[in-house]
Amino acid sequence: MPGKVVRVRRHSNFGWKERLYLPMIFVGLGVTARHFFENFWGYMIGKVKTFVVQYPEERLDYADAFRGHPVLVALESGAPKCVACGLCEFACPTDCITILPDETRSAIERIPKVFDIDMSRCMFCGLCEEACPEEAIVMSRDVELATYDREAMLFHKEDLLRTEEQLGRRIGFIREEYNRA
Amino acid sequence: MSDLLQAIEEKLGDAVEDSHAYRGDDTILVSHDRVLEVMQTLKDDSSFRFNMLIDLTAVDYLGRDPRFEVVYHLGSVEVEARGSEPSSLRHRLRVKSGVAEVPCEIDSVTSIWPAANWMEREVFDFYGIRFKGHDDMRRILLYEEFQGHPLRKDYPKERRQPLIGPRN
Amino acid sequence: MAEPVKKARTEGKGGLHTDIQKLNMGPSHPATHGTVKFTVELDGETIQAMDVAVGYLHRGFEKECESGTYYQAIPYTDRLNYNSAILANLGYCMAVEKLLEIEIPDRGEWARVLAGELSRVGDHLTRLGAACLELAAMTPFLYGIEARELIWDLQEMLCGARVTSNYVRIGGLQRNIPDGFEDRCEESLKRVDELLVDFDKIVTANRIFVDRFRGTGVLSREDCVAYSVTGPLLRAAGIPYDLRKAEPYSKYDEIDFDIPVGTTGDNYDRFLVVQEELMQSIRIIRQCLPVLRKTKGQPVDIQDPHIRWPGKNRVYGRMEELIQQFKGVTEGIKVPAGEAYVAVESANGELGFYIVSDGSGKPYKVRCRPPSFVNTQPLSRMLVGGLLADIIPTFDMVNMIGGECDR
Repeated sequence: MPGKVVRVRRHSNFGWKERLYLPMIFVGLGVTARHFFENFWGYMIGKVKTFVVQYPEERLDYADAFRGHPVLVALESGAPKCVACGLCEFACPTDCITILPDETRSAIERIPKVFDIDMSRCMFCGLCEEACPEEAIVMSRDVELATYDREAMLFHKEDLLRTEEQLGRRIGFIREEYNRA
Repeated sequence: MSDLLQAIEEKLGDAVEDSHAYRGDDTILVSHDRVLEVMQTLKDDSSFRFNMLIDLTAVDYLGRDPRFEVVYHLGSVEVEARGSEPSSLRHRLRVKSGVAEVPCEIDSVTSIWPAANWMEREVFDFYGIRFKGHDDMRRILLYEEFQGHPLRKDYPKERRQPLIGPRN
Repeated sequence: MAEPVKKARTEGKGGLHTDIQKLNMGPSHPATHGTVKFTVELDGETIQAMDVAVGYLHRGFEKECESGTYYQAIPYTDRLNYNSAILANLGYCMAVEKLLEIEIPDRGEWARVLAGELSRVGDHLTRLGAACLELAAMTPFLYGIEARELIWDLQEMLCGARVTSNYVRIGGLQRNIPDGFEDRCEESLKRVDELLVDFDKIVTANRIFVDRFRGTGVLSREDCVAYSVTGPLLRAAGIPYDLRKAEPYSKYDEIDFDIPVGTTGDNYDRFLVVQEELMQSIRIIRQCLPVLRKTKGQPVDIQDPHIRWPGKNRVYGRMEELIQQFKGVTEGIKVPAGEAYVAVESANGELGFYIVSDGSGKPYKVRCRPPSFVNTQPLSRMLVGGLLADIIPTFDMVNMIGGECDR
C-alpha cells in the first residue's frame, strides 16, 4: 500500500504567547495539576488511579506467560519428574545447567543425581522448558534472586524442586500454549 | 543472473572474478588489490550510484586460501525526494574480496565512504585485517591490551584475557 | 575519528587567554545512558574536537552465536537493543528463514508485525521521554515511561517477559496470540494516546524545550548518506527512506502508514520525526488487531518439525515426535550452506543480519549490522562547533543503545 511522506510541523514562529514563556508554563502546570487532582480524587473515593505500585508491599499479578527462573517439577513421592535426558542442557544457550544421571529401581529408572542451575548465568529465556519432553523443568514465577554471595546463586536439585500444585498455573499454560498441530 | 550483475560485469570486466545471486542477494567477488578501483566505479557510475556502505564485515574461512573474506554490503538510496513518495532503495549489492593470512591487509575504502571508518576498525579488532590507507587503525570495541583477534576461528571461546588495571 | 586539535590559544572576551581544555566524559557518566566515553576538547564551552570511545558493553555476541545452534542465538538477539528486542529477534529469524526458503503462515506474519510495532513504540517512548529528562524535565519523562510500561505489559502478556522477549522463532513464533490480547491492547493504546496528548502539550510547543533542541546536533543530508546513517536520523534530515516502504517485508505492503520527514536534520526535527513515527506505529498496531481477530485459531508456525520443534502434546505422547524433538534440540536446524543478508527497520535504523551457513546445525558466521554503532560514528561531526551542553540531548536523539552498539 503506498504511504505518503508527511513533513513534520516545526514550531518556528512563536506567537506572543510562546515568547512570553508564562502562558506555556501555565499550560504545563495545568496538565500536571490535572493529573494530581485525578489521582487525588481517586484516592479519596477509594479507586486508586496512580500508576506506581508500592513494591514489595503491593505486588501486581504477572501475565500467564511470565517466565521466572526455571524449577524442577516434583512427583508426589518428592522425587523429581526429570529423567536426566539432558535435552535442557543441550538447549541452554548459556550452559548454566549441569546434570549427572543416576539409575534407580523405581518404575522411572533414571533420575538426575545432580541437577544444578547456575542462576547467575541463567537468562530466563525458557528454551529449557520448550525443549523438555517430560514437563519436568518449567519456568516458575519467582524472580527475586538477590543474594550476598555468588555461591548462593548455584541452585541444587533440592532448591529447585516444586510440587505440581505450586506450579499449576505454569503447567496449565504449557499444556495449552505449546500444543501445536 | 540479474540485470544488475550483468551490468556490473559489463562495466567492470575482468575485475569481477565471480558472481552469484544466491537467495536473491547479488554478489560479486573482487580481487583484493582492485577493491578500491571497483568501489570507486560502483559509487560514481551513474547507473549504479551505490552511495551507502551499509555494512562491512569479514568472515574467517579457516583452512581455505585465501583465509579471510572481507564482505561489503552496498546500498543505493534515492536522496532526492520525489514529492510525497517515499524514497526507495534502488539496489543492493554484496562485494566480497579474499584476504590472505600473510599479508593480512586490504585497501581501505574510507576515502569513498566515511562510514567505513568504524566498521574497518571493528574488522581489524576482531579479525586482525589491516586496512591500508586508514588513518586511525586502532581497536574499537575491545581494549588495546587485548591479545589476539577473537572472531578468528582459531581463537577459542573460553580463552581468558589478562586483567588490566585502570590506565592513568 | 578525532578532528585535528587546535593548538593555538584563542582569545577570550576580555582579552584573556584561554587554553583548550580536555574533558573526559564517561565511561560511567550519570547523564549518558549507555556506557560510552567522550573525550571532548573545549574552548570555553565550545566543542573543538571530540572522540567517541565505544565498546564498554562488548559481550561477544557474534562469537557466542557461532558456538551454539541457530535456535540458541535467538535469546542473544534480545540483548542487542534491549528497548526493542522483538525487532532484533525478527531480523535474525528472517535471515535464517531466507536461507531455509520458508514462509510462515499469514497469521504469524501479522502477529510479527504487531509485536514488532509494539516494540518500536516502547523504544520511541523511551527515547522521547529520556530526551526531556536530559533537559531536566522529569514530568514528561514519567508520562512517557507510564505509556511504555503499558506497552511492556502487553509484551509480557505476549512473550512472557517485558524486555527480553525471546518471542520470534525460526519458522513462526514462540506461541500464538493469547485470548483477550486484542481487547487489552486497545484499552492500553487508548491510555497511551491520552498520555501522549499530555506529553505533547507540555513539551512540543514549549519554548524552553524548542530553544534547546532547535539547530543543535545538525547532520546534513549529504553527511547522513556518507556516514550510512539510517532510521529516524536520516528521515529527520529529509530523506524519506524507510525499509518498511523501500523493500516491504512481512505484511508491511498491506498496511497503510506514512513516513514522517524533517527538513534540517537537527535535534528538534529528530524529536518530531520520532514522535510522529510513534503515532504511525500505533496506527499500524490498530490495523493489525482486526486481522488477528479474524484469523483467530489459525496457526502461527510452519508445520515442519525439522524446523520448528513439534508441539508438546505430540512430544509427550508419540515416539516420532519425541525423536524429532531430540534431534531438533541436539543437532539443531540444518540450514543449507550459503549466505544471506536481511535487514529490518528497527527503531534506530537498518538492523541487518548477515548469516553464513556451512550446512551444519551451527551458524558459521552471524553478523549483526547494528544501527546504533553506525549512527554513533558521526556524533563528533554533529557536535563539533556546538556547546558542551548539547552533547547529552544529541546523544539521546542518536539513541545509542550499548547492547546493540557494542554487541
